[in-house]
Amino acid sequence: MALADPTIDALVEMRRARRRKRIADIHWVDAMYQVYITAILGIVALVFISGAAGGTPLDAHGIADLTDRGPAVLGLLPAFALMAGLRSGSRGGPLALEQPDVRHVLMSAVPRSYALRGPVFRQLRSFVFLGIAVGGAAGLFARHRLDANVAALIACGAGFGLASVLLGAGAALVAAGQRIPRWLATLVGLVVTAWSVADVADAAPTAPMSFLGKMPLWPLQFDAWAIVPAVVGVLLAVWGLMGISGLSIEHAERRTKLVGQLRFAVTLQDLRTVLVLRRQLAQELPREEPWFGGGAYRRPPKRLVFSRGIRSIMRFPASRLVRLVILAVIAGFAARGTWDGTLPLVALAGLAMWVAGLDAIEPLAQETDHPTRSEGFPVDIGELLVRHLAAPALVMFGVALIAGVVIVLGEPNLDSLRLAGIAIVPLAMLGVAGAVVSALMGAPSANDEISAMLPPEFAGIKNVARAAWPPVISVLGALPFLAAFAASDAGQSPWSAAGAAAAGAVVVAILVGVWVRYREDLHDWWAASMDEAKQQRSAKDAQKAARAGSAASRPKAKADRSRPAPVDEADEDWDEDEDEEEWDDDEYEDEDDQDWDDDAEVEPDEEDADLDEDDGEWEEEEDADDDEWEQDDDDDSDDDGEWDAREDDEDDEDENAR
Amino acid sequence: MTNDTVAPAIESVGLTKVYADLPALHPLDLTVEAGQSVALIGHNGSGKSTFLRMVAGLLEPTGGDVSVAGWPVGEVPARATTSFLPDDPVLYDDLSVREHVEYISRLHGGNGFDGYAEDIAERFKIDDRLDDLPARFSRGLRQKTSLLLGIARPFSLLLVDEPFVGLDAPGKNTLLDLLDEVHADGAAVVVATHDPEFVERVDRSVALRDGEKVFDGQASVSEVLALVST
Repeated sequence: MALADPTIDALVEMRRARRRKRIADIHWVDAMYQVYITAILGIVALVFISGAAGGTPLDAHGIADLTDRGPAVLGLLPAFALMAGLRSGSRGGPLALEQPDVRHVLMSAVPRSYALRGPVFRQLRSFVFLGIAVGGAAGLFARHRLDANVAALIACGAGFGLASVLLGAGAALVAAGQRIPRWLATLVGLVVTAWSVADVADAAPTAPMSFLGKMPLWPLQFDAWAIVPAVVGVLLAVWGLMGISGLSIEHAERRTKLVGQLRFAVTLQDLRTVLVLRRQLAQELPREEPWFGGGAYRRPPKRLVFSRGIRSIMRFPASRLVRLVILAVIAGFAARGTWDGTLPLVALAGLAMWVAGLDAIEPLAQETDHPTRSEGFPVDIGELLVRHLAAPALVMFGVALIAGVVIVLGEPNLDSLRLAGIAIVPLAMLGVAGAVVSALMGAPSANDEISAMLPPEFAGIKNVARAAWPPVISVLGALPFLAAFAASDAGQSPWSAAGAAAAGAVVVAILVGVWVRYREDLHDWWAASMDEAKQQRSAKDAQKAARAGSAASRPKAKADRSRPAPVDEADEDWDEDEDEEEWDDDEYEDEDDQDWDDDAEVEPDEEDADLDEDDGEWEEEEDADDDEWEQDDDDDSDDDGEWDAREDDEDDEDENAR
Repeated sequence: MTNDTVAPAIESVGLTKVYADLPALHPLDLTVEAGQSVALIGHNGSGKSTFLRMVAGLLEPTGGDVSVAGWPVGEVPARATTSFLPDDPVLYDDLSVREHVEYISRLHGGNGFDGYAEDIAERFKIDDRLDDLPARFSRGLRQKTSLLLGIARPFSLLLVDEPFVGLDAPGKNTLLDLLDEVHADGAAVVVATHDPEFVERVDRSVALRDGEKVFDGQASVSEVLALVST
């Protein structure tokens, strides 16, 4: 359809042409197969987990309690979504456009409302799908505990998820389009969230989000008021869509660079880089001055590594501290829910502690971000990393303590206090342990020894297992709640079961500590063993080839009359072995090069780039040749970004430390 | 609203940019008349790129106002009027050079890939690469593609940031000629550069130092070198 405005016409044609190219590049059979496999695996996993993660159905008293207090607790989720959306929108989120789109489309004569409509629709569509899927899955899990129609539970859960994401995404779009200042967005978000938190504590009923919290409980008790926040969510999304043309181009361009790097890091499964980039996206910078004891930090510290960690933690920005508190509250609620019989919540409790741990281990992660610097210290790297565990552990004990308070407040009695007391230590320790394992493992490599030994078909499974086991470690920290419930359900003492589970969890945490301490030694031992095995194999092959050569030379006189080849064949075998050796050497060289590249790939951060406008002029002039090796440079640029991001964070930390 | 034939190409009043607590541009009053050619000079971090990006609408001023041809920066007429050539070429990975010119020119109300675009491509010696994807290009080729995109579209204000970086000698000469031509055709041209060869050709030089204007007028090459080196 031809449009009246020729610029809009051109935009439509350009997007159509690009879509056609993208579609042409898709291998449909592969794509269908992947969708098929993902769908099958997803459904099977969901059904299996929802079946395995049971729980006892609530009695009449439990149902009454749920319908009374549940809406306020559930209302926390949309409240958090709204706060996150407002804050993200005030920084230009949630849109992540392509950089050429910002430069060429948003800077063109095409009305921005039209140019942004497509990207906003696509983003909203993704959010809506996510909300419906997660909400529906939660409804499926709830069927074990609620005596209600399963389809109704799933539908209401999906509706709740949909309304929550619309509130969050709609608020983000409105904040971005209307250029709501960050302080105002944070203030509004905090007020709504604080109101919901107060409602949970019965201090301020009628929090707006508590009305939405009634929606998932409709199969038990219908309340039409739940519709109101859902309608507000729809209105926010429509308002956001209509007003998105007011988006800040400066924010859009900053985001587009970071989001590009972020996506690259996600494809590499490099969690640490994802985390650092996400912080940059949220403009989450360390404080210039520490929260406490600024003067003390100017004196030489007694315990160097611990002191370095405390300095880092004391400069955590307020947003990170708020996030830690929120995660602690989520962990507390989930643990309480597990103890009350909603068993799948044990995973949520562990995951919340793992995510909190990823923030808490920042001092240690800074060491792993800069391995060459750490290796230059006159101390064994394993010992250094173990010393780094103390400060994060301290933070995580604080997080676990808040979770414990939430557990006790859920039903204030001696039993709750005892359970919280038993579980705080494993929650904290395994929260740190899971996060430390994530940080130290780094991104997976296709060239490691284990991958080389596995058949290619197992590579995917290995990667999934690799990504899953750090959070699984943290989930183990929440097992005392599961054990306590199971023992209580079986008529046994919950305390001894919880204590045993806690002891087991602490052992796991100690094993992780041992792994951290001796990880490098284990790697060295493994590499040496592999080298030795290769040498032995080469020697054997050489002997075999020599034997084959001498054996072949004996019948040669006779064989010469019929065929001339045996000696050559033996030589060829030998040559092949030599080739293999050479190939191995190349591989090692590549690894060395990679290390060197990593060290070299350090660039000034984005703001420096803006300010130091002429930096790199001479380098660029030298690079002015027109050959096409630049393609490699372009590829590297993503890596640059990755390290760039880490450097930025480190620079911030270092600068503040100074 | 003023008419773009009489309004200044750029008018900034108290234009300021502060990153966190670091000022990149102190309040700057600067008027560039329609059809004027201006060299923006200054050492690293002097605020040249920041100024150009704010005029282009890519950065938001912390304070002050800036208009292009009488229109506030960011509004459709200002965007249609302004062609910004950044020092970092930004191109689609999945469109050829020809497709880039075709669509981007039309997005700005131009004719697409026409004879003029073909002529510029020939002069930059990229006419044999028109159907290639720029994703595979060297830095220099990407720069030439970016220049082609910026010049082949309609505009009355051309903002160029460090255009000679990454260009070979023939490419630089072609660009100098093209800048003269668009200026002769009536467009205002503002170029951030240290290149004395270009400074000699312009009507006016404006020097910035640490975000402040320290010179405004016709500068000799020796003056420019002195301004940049101190």
